[in-house]
Amino acid sequence: MEHREIAIEVKNVCINYRIMKNVTVRHNLFQRHSREETFEAVKNVSFTVEKGGILGVIGRNGSGKSTLLRAIAGVFSPNSGSIDLKGHTVSLMALGVGFKENLTGRENISLSGMLLGFRENQIRDKMHDIIDFAEIGEFIDRPVRTYSSGMHSKLAFAVTAMLETDIMLVDEVLSVGDERFKKKSLGKMKELITDKNRTVIIVSHNIDTLKSLCDKVMWIHDGELKEMGEPGEVLERYVNFMNR
Amino acid sequence: MLNSLIMIIPALTGLFMHNYFCHGRLSAFRKTVLFFVYGILMCVSMSIVAWTRGIKGIGIVYMTLPHRIEFTILGCAMSFGIALGLCLVIEREVTIEKLKGYLNRFFGDVRRYYKYAVRSARADLHSEVANAYLDWLWWLIEPFCMMLIYTLIFGVVFNASEPFFPIFIFSGLTMWTFFSRGMNVSVNIVRSNKGIISKIYLPKFILYFARMLVNGFKMLVSFAIVVIMLIVFKVPVSFRVLYFVPIMIVFFLFTFGMGSILMHFGVYVNDLSYIVGIVLSMLMYFTGTFYAVGKRIPAPFGELLEQFNPVAFCIASMRNAVLYNTSPQMDLLIMWGLVAVLLSAVGVYTIYRNENAYVKVI
Repeated sequence: MEHREIAIEVKNVCINYRIMKNVTVRHNLFQRHSREETFEAVKNVSFTVEKGGILGVIGRNGSGKSTLLRAIAGVFSPNSGSIDLKGHTVSLMALGVGFKENLTGRENISLSGMLLGFRENQIRDKMHDIIDFAEIGEFIDRPVRTYSSGMHSKLAFAVTAMLETDIMLVDEVLSVGDERFKKKSLGKMKELITDKNRTVIIVSHNIDTLKSLCDKVMWIHDGELKEMGEPGEVLERYVNFMNR
Repeated sequence: MLNSLIMIIPALTGLFMHNYFCHGRLSAFRKTVLFFVYGILMCVSMSIVAWTRGIKGIGIVYMTLPHRIEFTILGCAMSFGIALGLCLVIEREVTIEKLKGYLNRFFGDVRRYYKYAVRSARADLHSEVANAYLDWLWWLIEPFCMMLIYTLIFGVVFNASEPFFPIFIFSGLTMWTFFSRGMNVSVNIVRSNKGIISKIYLPKFILYFARMLVNGFKMLVSFAIVVIMLIVFKVPVSFRVLYFVPIMIVFFLFTFGMGSILMHFGVYVNDLSYIVGIVLSMLMYFTGTFYAVGKRIPAPFGELLEQFNPVAFCIASMRNAVLYNTSPQMDLLIMWGLVAVLLSAVGVYTIYRNENAYVKVI
C-alpha cells in the first residue's frame, strides 16, 4: 500500500476571498487596491490522495470545504501554495452544471463535454448513453428552459456521470430525481466511486455515507485541517465535537 | 502650454502602464522620476518617428490640430511599448520569461478552446432562430429594415445624401451594430455565464470571443447583402475592395480589445452597463453611421472625429474602399492596428491576472 501512486497533491494551500466595499466607477479606476478586506476561507491546508483513493471531507457549514473542492477543480487558483493533479483530468460534480437555457439538451451535452476537455468524437460516442441514462425522453431536443427542475438535474447528473474523468470531486450530490432515479443514480455513483482507477473526493454532511464509502476522512474546521485519518475515528470525534 | 500636452499625455500613459505592470506598487518618488524619464523617452521616440516621415525636428508650434492629436495618440500607443520595454529592463517583477509565459498561455488557450467557442457560437445562432417563423431570414430582414428607415429619415427628411446612400448607410450600420453589440455583451458576459465559470475553469475571454463570433457571423450575412446591393446599384469597384480585409481585421481586434477590458470592469462595477449604454449612443452619432462625419461636421473637428475615433475611421475607410474606390490612409490604419493589438494584449493580461477572483465576486 505504501508505494501507491499519488493522484492529488495539495501543498500549503491558502485561499482568500476579497470582500469588495464601496464599488463605484471612481474607486475601481483610481483606487484599485484600497478598500478591500480579505477573508481566509482555507488556511494552509496540505494533504495527498492516492490514486484510486476515496477521501471524504467533513466540516460544518462555511468551513471552506466547497472552496477547497473548487480550487482542486481549477475554477480558481489558490492565493498561495500549490495543487498538483499529476496530469489527471478532473471534474466537479455539483447540481446544475452550467447549462445554457436557450439551447437544447443535446447541444448542452456536447458543450459541457467540450468544457470538460473531451473531443467531439468522444462526446458523440457517449451521447447515446447519456440520453439513455437521463430518461427525459423527447425533451432532449427541446430548450433546457422548458425543463422541470427534476429533468434539469437528471440531465446534469447524467452528463457528469457518463463523461468520466480520472478525478471526481463530489459536492454533496449523490442522488437526484424521483425515488426510482434516485436509486439508479446512487447505484451509478457507487459504481463510479468504487472504480479502482478513479480518485474521488466527497464533501458531505452525511456521516453514514462517508463511513460506508470512504477509505479516509478529512475534517476541516474554519479553513484549517483539523484531522485526517481512518473514517471511523475521525467521524466519531467530529460527531462528538458537533454535539458538544 | 497646450503644446507640451503632446508630450505630457503620452508620458502619463507610459507611467500609468508602468505602474500597472508593477501591480501598482510604485512609490511616489519613483513615479516622479519615471514621469520625467518617460517625458524624455517620448520626445526622443517621437522625433525619430517624425524624422522617418521626413520632418526635420518637430515644429509643434506650426502643426495643425489634427497633426497634434495624431502625434499624441501615436505617442500614447508607443508609450505602451516603451513602458513594457523599460519595465523589462529595470523592474525585477517583469521578466521576459513571464511575458513568454503569458504569450504561450494565450496561444495554448486559444488552440484548446477555439473549438468550444465555435461550437458555442453555432449553438447560440441556432437557438436564436430555432423558434422563429422566419428563421435565419431575420438576420437579413432586420438590418435591411433598419437601412430603409434610416435612408428614409436621413435621405428624405433631413436631405442628407451621399453617393449610393442606401449602401452607405447599410454598410456603416452593419459595422456599428457589431461594435455596439460587442460592447453591450461584454459588460455582462461574466455574470451571465455564472453557471459555467463557477463549475469549470475556462479562460474568460473565450466567452466573449464566442459572442463575437456570433455577432461576426451576423455581420457577414449583412455584408453578403452589401455585395448584392453593389451589383444592383452598379457601383464601380476595383482592386481597392481588397483593403476591406485589413480594415476588418483591425476593427475586429479593436472590438476584442475594448470588450475584454470592459468585461473585466463589468465584473466589479454593477452599474457599468448604464454608462456603456450612454457612451455608445453618443458614439453612434459621432461615428457617422448615417452621415459622413468628415464632411458634415465643420472642419477641423469632422476630420478629427473621422481619424481619431477608431470605429468611425474603420467605417469611413471601409466605405471609401468598397464604395468610392479610394485607398485608406495607411499610416493611420497601421497606427490603429497597433493600438488594437496593444488593447487586446492589455485586456487579455488583465483578465489572466484577475479571472480567478471573478467567481468570488459575482
